[in-house]
Amino acid sequence: MSNNKKYWKGLEELNNSPSFQKVKSEEFNEYLPAEDFLGDKEVLESSDTSRRDFLKYLGFGVTAASLAACEAPVNKVIPYVVKGDKTNPGVANYFATNYFDGFDYCDIVVKTREGRPIKIEGNKKSPLTNGAINARVNSSVLSLYDEKRYRAPQMGGESTSWSKFNRTIKKRLSNAIVAGGKVRILTNTITSPSTKKLVSEFVAANPSADIKHVSYDAVSASGMLEANKESFGVAALPTYDLSKAKSIVSIGADFMNSFPSSLELTSQYAKGRKPENGWMSKHFQFEASLSLSGTNADVRMPMKPSEYGKTVVAIYNYLNGNKSGAAPKVKMAAEHLLSNKGESIVLCGSNDKNIQNVVVAINQMLGNYGKTINIDKPSFQRQGMDADVAGLVKELKGGSVDVLIIDGANPVYNLPADMDFKGAMSKAKTSIVFATRPNETSVEAKMVGAAAHYLESWNDENAVAGHYSLTQPSISPLFDTKQLQDCLMYWMGLDGNYYDYIKATWSAVTFPMQSQSLLFEDFWNTTLEDGFFSLNTTESRNATFTDNSASGVSAIAKIKSSELEIEFYSKVGIGSGNQSHNPWLQELPDPVSKITWDNYIAMNPVEARAKGFATEYGEQKDADTINITVNGVVYENVPVVGQPGQAPGTVSVAVGYGQVIGKSNEVIGFNAYSAMKGMKNYSTDVSMEAAGGKYQIATTQTHQTVMGRTSIVRETTLDVFQKGVKDNYNPAHMLATHEGPMNINDVDLWAAHPVATAGHHWGMSIDLNSCIGCGSCVTSCNSENNVPVVGKDEVRRSREMHWIRVDRYFSSTPDSLETRSYGEMEQPEDNPQVVHQPMMCQHCNHAPCETVCPVAATTHSNEGINQMTYNRCIGTRYCANNCPYKVRRFNWFNYMGYDKFADLNPSQDDLGRMVLNPDVTVRARGVMEKCSLCIQKIQTGKLDAKKESRPVMDGDIETACSSACPTNAITFGDYNDKTSRVLAASQSTRAYRVIEEVGTQSNVYYQTKVRNVEPNIA
Amino acid sequence: MNGISLKKPTSYFLALFSFLLAFSVSTTSLQAQEDGEKLFKSYCASCHSPGANQLVGPGLAGVYDKYEKEWLYKWIKNSSALIATGDAQAIAVYEQYNKVIMPAQPVTNIQIDAILDYLKVYAEKAPTVAAAVVGGTEDVIAEDSGLSGYAIAGIIVLFLILIILLRKVQYIFTAANARDSGDEMPEETTLTQALALTVSQNKTIFAVMGIVCLALFAKGGWDSAFGVGVFQGYEPEQPIMFSHKLHAGTNGIDCNYCHTSASYSKSAGIPSPNLCMNCHTYIQEGPEYGKEEIGKIYAALDFDPVTKTYGPNQTPIKWVKVHNLPDHVYFNHSQHVAIGKIACEKCHGPVETYTVGKQYAELTMGWCINCHRETKVQMADNGYYDEIHDRLPDELKKQYLEDGTITVSELGGIECSKCHY
Repeated sequence: MSNNKKYWKGLEELNNSPSFQKVKSEEFNEYLPAEDFLGDKEVLESSDTSRRDFLKYLGFGVTAASLAACEAPVNKVIPYVVKGDKTNPGVANYFATNYFDGFDYCDIVVKTREGRPIKIEGNKKSPLTNGAINARVNSSVLSLYDEKRYRAPQMGGESTSWSKFNRTIKKRLSNAIVAGGKVRILTNTITSPSTKKLVSEFVAANPSADIKHVSYDAVSASGMLEANKESFGVAALPTYDLSKAKSIVSIGADFMNSFPSSLELTSQYAKGRKPENGWMSKHFQFEASLSLSGTNADVRMPMKPSEYGKTVVAIYNYLNGNKSGAAPKVKMAAEHLLSNKGESIVLCGSNDKNIQNVVVAINQMLGNYGKTINIDKPSFQRQGMDADVAGLVKELKGGSVDVLIIDGANPVYNLPADMDFKGAMSKAKTSIVFATRPNETSVEAKMVGAAAHYLESWNDENAVAGHYSLTQPSISPLFDTKQLQDCLMYWMGLDGNYYDYIKATWSAVTFPMQSQSLLFEDFWNTTLEDGFFSLNTTESRNATFTDNSASGVSAIAKIKSSELEIEFYSKVGIGSGNQSHNPWLQELPDPVSKITWDNYIAMNPVEARAKGFATEYGEQKDADTINITVNGVVYENVPVVGQPGQAPGTVSVAVGYGQVIGKSNEVIGFNAYSAMKGMKNYSTDVSMEAAGGKYQIATTQTHQTVMGRTSIVRETTLDVFQKGVKDNYNPAHMLATHEGPMNINDVDLWAAHPVATAGHHWGMSIDLNSCIGCGSCVTSCNSENNVPVVGKDEVRRSREMHWIRVDRYFSSTPDSLETRSYGEMEQPEDNPQVVHQPMMCQHCNHAPCETVCPVAATTHSNEGINQMTYNRCIGTRYCANNCPYKVRRFNWFNYMGYDKFADLNPSQDDLGRMVLNPDVTVRARGVMEKCSLCIQKIQTGKLDAKKESRPVMDGDIETACSSACPTNAITFGDYNDKTSRVLAASQSTRAYRVIEEVGTQSNVYYQTKVRNVEPNIA
Repeated sequence: MNGISLKKPTSYFLALFSFLLAFSVSTTSLQAQEDGEKLFKSYCASCHSPGANQLVGPGLAGVYDKYEKEWLYKWIKNSSALIATGDAQAIAVYEQYNKVIMPAQPVTNIQIDAILDYLKVYAEKAPTVAAAVVGGTEDVIAEDSGLSGYAIAGIIVLFLILIILLRKVQYIFTAANARDSGDEMPEETTLTQALALTVSQNKTIFAVMGIVCLALFAKGGWDSAFGVGVFQGYEPEQPIMFSHKLHAGTNGIDCNYCHTSASYSKSAGIPSPNLCMNCHTYIQEGPEYGKEEIGKIYAALDFDPVTKTYGPNQTPIKWVKVHNLPDHVYFNHSQHVAIGKIACEKCHGPVETYTVGKQYAELTMGWCINCHRETKVQMADNGYYDEIHDRLPDELKKQYLEDGTITVSELGGIECSKCHY
């Protein structure tokens, strides 16, 4: 190893607390009271179960079970009445469509089996998202089968029929229109050209009435929109190309997660992070809370959110030659920007138009527009103007709105409490909300339209100029649901349905833009098949630039900081909270904190400790609670969590929580939106006090420890890598033998496994430099492999079932540039470096698990796969004990049947069960399970090749994790295929195998992480 | 139907009956009938029924009596020409059947004669067939129910009574002897005492017998344990009395015609009723159950056989699944049918003889594994296997090819995760 870094998964490990030491030595740390019971004679005697009784019941149980096994149930097999041409039982169909919920846009491919969508993957053909997908999008298939969905429209809280619902609304609308009243349509950002056209036709058809469409974004980008309008005359977001940027400076922008177009940016970012290309982008991050982007930054500087503006100005001044007073890291960033003019990007997450104006000026000054940033090809993914929403609320409160129609938005939940949308909405004469499931807004509405899920809907999207995509249903509506557009057409008295309307719009607008297809039907069908239609060239408008930096700078100077500030952020799993009812996302450990099923107040651990708050969490260790007041909104008894990397003097809280989940309507976390006054993503008006309570936190932080074998992470700097001496950054493991030191791979107790030479030899390569830790692989694996949800309580007991996890290691160097005071070492928790490492079964050729299984339930295949045979497993768990990677999972319960999991586990009801992959066994209680390298996909890939009489091509077979990886960090393939990418990756100089020194000969290679940073700078 | 019941196969008896029936047909017309039947099926059956019911064209029962032979020759060979000549009878037929032209058939007069002969035989035979088969089934069932455990129990009871009686008799004789000889009267022993005495006097024999019994019992238990969950011969009653014997056997319809997805999907597929309608739009009556069973397809599709229109109230047919693999087993038909080129009969048996679908094979893991051990991989002309074969190192090739073939198991076909995942 080239560095003397210390790696730690959590504060428990860093401080090496006694309880951590105890936990790490116990893989299964459940407490069995056997000693207490057997040692205490009284307890033993007072038991009413005698040994005879026990044996009787045992005997009866065995007999009953054997008898029961003799009778098999009569199964029915029910063919289609009229089978569709392409619907074949047992054969998967794929439909290209897209996902847009106002927060994430993604071109996707939906896998259906027997007509049911079961898996969502990125559309690899898409030039916009490049096949990238995130956890939120690939988990969205589960919300289709949500038990709580509206099954019919509601009027006054009662279910009704669509005809009655629509007739009532039509009447009320026409009354309002005749009277010249106000009709307001409130939605999240809409990029659908057809929907927009429909709404504008609705407005145009009723000139006598006052009809207006207002859109807003729960996580607002209003500041950027306004700045772009002032600077370029375009109230849109620019598109970026991070793959061309050598210098990336982000000030509070979590562009890998919550920033608009995060998927596009993530896939581009990874392209610029390949040290083999001869260059690598350098990423600076200035932020308060440790964000996903922050964990991947080469240089990160924690700062208060109120200082974002000042940092932007400091960079602006530095570029203008005013170099005094800039902090060392700001200076470093500015210098780097200057040396990469036209090949850099400055991003800022602030929702303040003044700050964004200066950011625009900086990028303009650097000559980035037209090169890495394109305002002539704008993105329409955020359109909400905060002022419009405020205006609407005012109108509503005034009681002047006759009909309020809300679709795809939940303003009662995600507008700040001081706006009192609930009160305002009650004053509308008619309020109509379209929602897929009951939410805070729909329960307040007089009429609720049972909205169709996006997988049941027709739509079109124009997320970015020149990129048009079609949303097509992959299942007919499960319930009696409709889209707003269809209803709107009825209310307007238009003939046909929305599908016809989209077709007509495309025929008139999109079809003439292209020249490949002569007939509209051809064009339509091609677009449906591809999912999108993308113009190579866009009309270049060459927006003229107006410099507003001066006013921006002076406005920024007025921003005041305070002792304690709070930043509102979006978590990777929950995002803006549209899907907070999705158990897959709730159970996805947050990439940064590794906490599941909760939001919390994150605080710098040094400060937390000083205040007497617990900073270590586990089954027996709870978090402390505080009462916190933000902008006058009081949150009582909320947990406080020590988060390394959190800027001192700040706390942060995730939005999107405080909504209900499961059949019992359990509330998860608390709603931080309420305190987001003015839709500003931070506040300086914070006060807090200890509440004295305790709060259970379910974290996976110290689960599956690797007993100090931290050689599993290898990292180096670009400098060292470019000097090309492999031993400096990726030395081979040498073993002392009587013949002198030998490479670990040359020393072996066992004969070589024959996989290396015959047939297939499946394996995987994971590039730690590309992995950003987003967890898309985790939820994709859940979906593909029927991984059960275990719930918060079980996660606390280290019983999460994820086959793949992303280990997050903090590391800290002894000396760091940014010091608390000169000469003093930085606290390791203040600003640690982070490594994300996906970890799953390594499919060792000399697998330690295989040799200890007493029933040969885990064996090696001749294709290099460590096979797990559930029906043979008797649950001794020896294998998990012997696994150096701690990747095996034990089914403690019958998750698909046991009451405890009925609330959350999708496989518990008939509806939720539809999401299960029929090719993968649903595991029973008492068996081990683990990553199978998606054996079902390998088998399918091989069979397809056999049917087509050709060899399996590299890239034909993708595992769930590799296909879901937005940065292509995971590569799957056949080592025996000499042309495969995975073979090339395994032979690269950065390739190493984790815990290679124990001689497991694993089939998963990792690529050493390379940081673009001078030594000793974090 | 709460559980699976194992029925004795009735198909053998049915086969026997059919065989006898075939002989009962007069030998003189046998040849003509066979030819005629073949000809009828290839030229006429797509539009005409041999009975009286109308398909596309009218049923042909009695057509030989209704029309002159010469006229029929002309009509069959080229009906439109006959109509064009202004033949009154021809025009009448044309008008009667909705002015649908019967296409000209490339048949000779001799062939037409054979077809007409077949129609005559068919008319004579048809009612008898149904009656005979129905009767046959009943017979079989009756015979089936005669076999029971009561008889065995009765025999055991008889034996017990006999033992008690004999013991009594023996005692009476001994007592009589004793009285006659003036000996001491023997005490009447109970059955248990006698048994204990016998055992104690013959310890070795009883010990050996005990061990043998135990061993047999254990063996029986062991064997039957292997049968747990094995439903070979499972032949559940189905909602429609569909006969594979009629469709695949008599009519010779290829398996893949109905089980379309066997060659490209995991499941072979139960045909959807719309597939049945390819034939049953016109074939509205079956030879065994008449309109009743075919009517169930129509009910599922809400099809009106007279107007030939579909209604909106379609309900799926709920067949009883015969082959139930456990959920932890992955089996793919296409791998076996399209790639392995395994004939359907290999696992499903002589389906063309089944009147009710049944499980032919054991479907146990041992059964699967055995086949994988013996079966040769169909490597010829498959690019996939060419590549795999090329990758085999020489020593492995030699080892595998020792017996001249590369079997499925040699390429990893008996590894756990080939079927369990």
